[in-house]
Amino acid sequence: MESGRVYTFREDFYAKVTIAIAFVALLLGGIFGVLQVASRTPYFPNLYEPLARIGLSNSPHELYYRGLTAHGVLLAIVLTTFYIVGLSAYLTPRVIGVNIKPRLLSISLIVMVTGTILAAIAILAGWANVLYTFYLPLIAHPLFYLGAALLILGSWVLAAGVFIAYLEWRRANPDSAIPLPFFGMLATYIVWIMATTPLVFIVLKNHIPASILGSNTDVLESRLYFWWFGHALVYFWLLPAITLWYYYVPKALGVPLFSDTMAKVSFSIFILASTPVGTHHQLTDPGINPYVKYLQTVLTLVVATPSMLTAFNIIATLERGVRARGGGGLLGWLLKLPWRDPAFTGLILALIAFGSGGISGIINGSYQLNNVVHNTVWIVGHFHTTVGTAVALSFMAYTYVLLRDLYGRKLILESLSLTVPTLWFIGMTLFSIGYYIAGLYGSPRRTSDVTYAGLMPNEWVVPMQIAAIGAFIFATGGLIFLVQFFGSLASGSRITLAQPAVVMMNPHSPGKATILDRISILVIVAVVIVIIAYSGALYELYIARGLSPVPPVTP
Amino acid sequence: MEYHRGEMVYEYIWVLIIVAVVAGFSAAMAYYGFIRNLNPSCEAYTIEEAKARGIDLTPGVREVGPGIYEVTVEAAQFVFIPMEIKLKDPVRVTFRVYSRDVIHGIHVVGTSINVMVFPGYVAEFVWEPPKNAKGSYLFICHEYCGVGHHLMRGTLLIERSSLLLDGGDFSGVR
Repeated sequence: MESGRVYTFREDFYAKVTIAIAFVALLLGGIFGVLQVASRTPYFPNLYEPLARIGLSNSPHELYYRGLTAHGVLLAIVLTTFYIVGLSAYLTPRVIGVNIKPRLLSISLIVMVTGTILAAIAILAGWANVLYTFYLPLIAHPLFYLGAALLILGSWVLAAGVFIAYLEWRRANPDSAIPLPFFGMLATYIVWIMATTPLVFIVLKNHIPASILGSNTDVLESRLYFWWFGHALVYFWLLPAITLWYYYVPKALGVPLFSDTMAKVSFSIFILASTPVGTHHQLTDPGINPYVKYLQTVLTLVVATPSMLTAFNIIATLERGVRARGGGGLLGWLLKLPWRDPAFTGLILALIAFGSGGISGIINGSYQLNNVVHNTVWIVGHFHTTVGTAVALSFMAYTYVLLRDLYGRKLILESLSLTVPTLWFIGMTLFSIGYYIAGLYGSPRRTSDVTYAGLMPNEWVVPMQIAAIGAFIFATGGLIFLVQFFGSLASGSRITLAQPAVVMMNPHSPGKATILDRISILVIVAVVIVIIAYSGALYELYIARGLSPVPPVTP
Repeated sequence: MEYHRGEMVYEYIWVLIIVAVVAGFSAAMAYYGFIRNLNPSCEAYTIEEAKARGIDLTPGVREVGPGIYEVTVEAAQFVFIPMEIKLKDPVRVTFRVYSRDVIHGIHVVGTSINVMVFPGYVAEFVWEPPKNAKGSYLFICHEYCGVGHHLMRGTLLIERSSLLLDGGDFSGVR
């Protein structure tokens, strides 16, 4: 490893801007979240009614779906993508000591911001009430698709920057093992490229022609490619969060990770199995062969295994770390963990929430059980514990470190820091349990009013109300976080940062490269698995049955 | 900090547990899916093909034999046709569901009927109601289909005569 100094100010500027944009998205998306959970919960005030009355729209239901589209796109796409590109730009020079090409950083930033603004205009103006899954034949304004495409394109540019930096590092260090946090970032971008390729294909083939020219499109075809992207997207969110668990938890404890090999094995399984699982979102779709669905269901279970490995690895690290410092007893060591550190507490609570999210995910993805929960609020409970907590809370928690190390600001209202992960975790627990129960009784998701003119089953009411109270609790935690974040940027006192010299972040890891560091082999095997998993569905769609295109419809 | 080799045994035990869980779940799903024939999937054919095969897609309920029903449902922004499905002592019900415009879904709350409904395709599936299924069930559209999505609903009514030929259970509770 060379011993020169690496200057990170270009990457740091990029990361500062993108992470701040991510939290603007959290603010806006969160506001819509609060409005909609109040409006859809039985006997709670419909907050969209007064907004419709002052002339924002002719129907509170139209406003609800507009807000729901904004909530989904801002939180699931804008918040996550902007935070992830920022985090990887921040970590790359610090972990492998190679800069990302400055031109790629600027192009990526400009393209992503432009795309986000265009899509945001289309959504907020009500020209794109198609929700974040934008299923055809419902169509949005072309601006919406253009904006989304630019957002993805901008992230590809940054991905290219990270891959080029990796190759440069590899040329200088032909025999070294890849440092673990960078391995996590590489896995993230490999999954992202594999995920977004089918999406870009189908948006160019179906969505844009339908939106601009009014062309007919096949519904099943569009959905197949959308979910080909849609589930791998989940791992694009999750892998950086897992990277943060592996990176920061051992650091906070001052011990090495329990097993680097185990961590690399889990990232490798994520690369192999995170894409060929999309039809588990389509188990109730007519027209996909049961054998294809079954195969992808089994692959879904396979992609659950690295999460189980990760849980073991982190918990073992916690226990070792504390026992080394004299903590003892069967569970007494838990008290000796550095719970006062909001970054640590947030990351661990995120990991615990992921346990609940992962198990509910196995139920969603289980062939037969999915029939009970498909498109009910159970699913909403599931993805608020996974992307809404395991991912979002990890990102928020690590931001406490970034405020100091990246933004160079002293945190304001420091005494409130621990309330953020605590309120978020408690609120999400209530929210998800309420929605799990209501979902088992069949309460639908994505519906502005679930009372059905008095036909609503009574079993839905109380769990949905508990969920709404949970939502207000975690929204409060989120608000405190946003006040701290933007308040510290505006008025926190400056901390002078030393330009970091190159240090390997995980000193005991990079030994000799092993089979696990052969990224190209992994990618080839992953592509082969994807082709095998999807060939049956594609054959049925295009050859055995043939397409059945229908004209576009406005929502 | 060095770990003892012996401690690796916990890692191996955990990996064994994971493999057992994945294998067990996969086997259970395959058993119910392909041996007990409990598949979430259903057959689909295009509207063109339905016409070519001479399948009657007029919405409504037809009793083709004692307890044997064929139910055709058309979904459209923002209504199900028919809104009321009445079945008397149903044994085997074949549903054909299709959409006139956008993607809809049909979920009969409290049953295992939960299917996506696509324009251009007919979803066909068979439901064998449990013997204790009776009374009125709410069915709803469960995929966002536009601004009136919350209006899409209907009622499935199951009537039971007191003269069940198989002497089935009357308690309604099992």
